[in-house]
Amino acid sequence: MGLLTILKKMKEKEKEMRLLMLGLDNAGKTTILKKYNGEDIDTISPTLGFNIKTLEHKGYKLNIWDVGGQKSLRSYWRNYFESTDGLIWVVDCADRRRLADCKRELDSLLMEERLAGATLLVFANKQDLPGALPSHDIKEALELDNIKSHHWLIQGCSAVTGENLLQGVDWITNDIASRIFTMD
Amino acid sequence: MSANARNANNPGKKKGGGFLARQANKGNAKTDKRPAGPPSTEEELLKQAHVSPDDVLRLAKVTKNYLCPVDANVYNIDFTCFKLRDMDTATVLFEVAKPENLPCGDDEDSNDADEEADPNAGRFVRYQFTPQFLKLNTVGATVEFTVGDKAINKFRMIEKHYFRDRLLKCFDFEFGFCIPNSKNTVEHIYEFPHLDATEIQEMIASPYETRSDSFYFVDDQLVMHNKADYAYDGGVSNL
Repeated sequence: MGLLTILKKMKEKEKEMRLLMLGLDNAGKTTILKKYNGEDIDTISPTLGFNIKTLEHKGYKLNIWDVGGQKSLRSYWRNYFESTDGLIWVVDCADRRRLADCKRELDSLLMEERLAGATLLVFANKQDLPGALPSHDIKEALELDNIKSHHWLIQGCSAVTGENLLQGVDWITNDIASRIFTMD
Repeated sequence: MSANARNANNPGKKKGGGFLARQANKGNAKTDKRPAGPPSTEEELLKQAHVSPDDVLRLAKVTKNYLCPVDANVYNIDFTCFKLRDMDTATVLFEVAKPENLPCGDDEDSNDADEEADPNAGRFVRYQFTPQFLKLNTVGATVEFTVGDKAINKFRMIEKHYFRDRLLKCFDFEFGFCIPNSKNTVEHIYEFPHLDATEIQEMIASPYETRSDSFYFVDDQLVMHNKADYAYDGGVSNL
């Protein structure tokens, strides 16, 4: 899967969406971003800042922000909340030990006023690993069914194989579009 | 530094016109049109204590001088890597990195000894591409930069590309906040400005008349100004 398959002819009026991708360190945020954009994923090191991609997707101009997830960086996440249309929360499904951490960090984001209007996509990543919990178990562990404040979806995926990345991004952009933009 | 485009032979069909005109008439991301008011001139801006984003958006052509001194970069912003890829063939066209940043690139250039002597060394890059470069459809341009030990609240980049006095493309992107001591990347994936056959011939025949100004602002004040020029006749005479 590459960008080519999803690039569509630009519309006359560019519509911009800002997606913020967060999650614990080593969840696979940067790998998702690179794989999704057809980039080599052989050498990826911890993000000590942000990685941004701007691209066209189905007539929308997407600005995707991937901000480092190390503990020392999480206090800076709030600097990137403003104007966010969609939050992509990435979970390492093989990291059972830190699921409680993962839930706590997500819960605090969902309380954030500046993210109140954002659509939530949870990427249950690393489904290619044998020890990975299926997305159903992640949904229970994160108690997603209790979320009433945001539109949300959980999508099992693999950043390494690219499985379901496009489906996830399609869903979140469609949801944002139906909330924000009047349909053509 | 120079970089040669490789594997840039791209047989893909061209997109229709109109893109260039739209891009030229509005800044990219945040700015939908050029700010109101008359075009600004370099002479005026050089007299000002500070240069703003609106000031450079109103510039009608490439500047002769740098609009801020090197030491305006008090935040220690450092560009460490630049990469360009052709999205249609998933090929990296070139990648240049600072020597101390080698994992990102395979750049063989080293800083020249006379860099110490010229305060503006490092603010200017000359690129030599092959003619095929002008036929690319969709490209991804990545820059990597590091930030010093102070946080930056509002970081914005405006980059204007011209052939002679004609604006080909204007990027306008606001990064916003930058974490102290961070390493950051941004990739803009975009359709290459459409050029007709006459323009392509002119650009190939006029090396280094394609130029760009890159302006970087912190809190709406110019802190860095870099320049580049471009030739597209690589391999034409000596292959």
